[in-house]
Amino acid sequence: MTLYEKITTLYPSLTNEDFYPHTGTIMLQNDSDGRGDYIREWNHPTLAQPTQEQLDGVQ
Amino acid sequence: MTIAIKPTASGSTIEQNGSTILTVDGSGNITPSNNLYPKVPAFRAYRNGNQTISANTWTKVIYDTESLDNTSSYDHATNYRFTPQVEGWYYFSYGISSNGSTSSYVALYKNGSNVQSGDGSSSGATIFGRTGSGLVYLNGSTDYVEVYVNQSNTTVVCSTTNSYFTGFLVSV
Repeated sequence: MTLYEKITTLYPSLTNEDFYPHTGTIMLQNDSDGRGDYIREWNHPTLAQPTQEQLDGVQ
Repeated sequence: MTIAIKPTASGSTIEQNGSTILTVDGSGNITPSNNLYPKVPAFRAYRNGNQTISANTWTKVIYDTESLDNTSSYDHATNYRFTPQVEGWYYFSYGISSNGSTSSYVALYKNGSNVQSGDGSSSGATIFGRTGSGLVYLNGSTDYVEVYVNQSNTTVVCSTTNSYFTGFLVSV
């Protein structure tokens, strides 16, 4: 399960638009260095950035 | 050092330390013995094979094959970035294709941050190209550039012709 899928599982109200470049409030990134996806920016007006524990708990 | 200008049957030659460096014909056309143009940093990289990414996640495009890198400034094996050792303004052009994404964007990153976005779209389609180009200043030592893609589909379509990352020095 990708980071995007985990976040949208935790917050079902999120849509693709929340992650859109330039207009979205959440920015995920992967530097193709083997370390995987990570949250680069989280500026959502109402939802708090999930903790690593929350993300790890998503099945 | 000795410089000599010698007449020939049809013009003249300019010699440096006994070797001809320039030839001038009877019409004033000058022919150098070596290329007049200095070697400026230039590269072209591409990827031959699709790259799988996570949806809606800015991901560095792995351009892992070079067709030109005259100053060994593009890292095609580990970091997939261009780090020239000559300071100046560089022109870059980059592209990938996407297949069936409802959104797809490409961007040029300088030192890890988006410095120039290419084109993008939020409308679905079959296979379509995403490209970008522009001038970026690099300090000639530590500055580097990379290409990132962000799309709703997880497959970045790449082949020898539709994926490319090129750049060259324009002005110091």
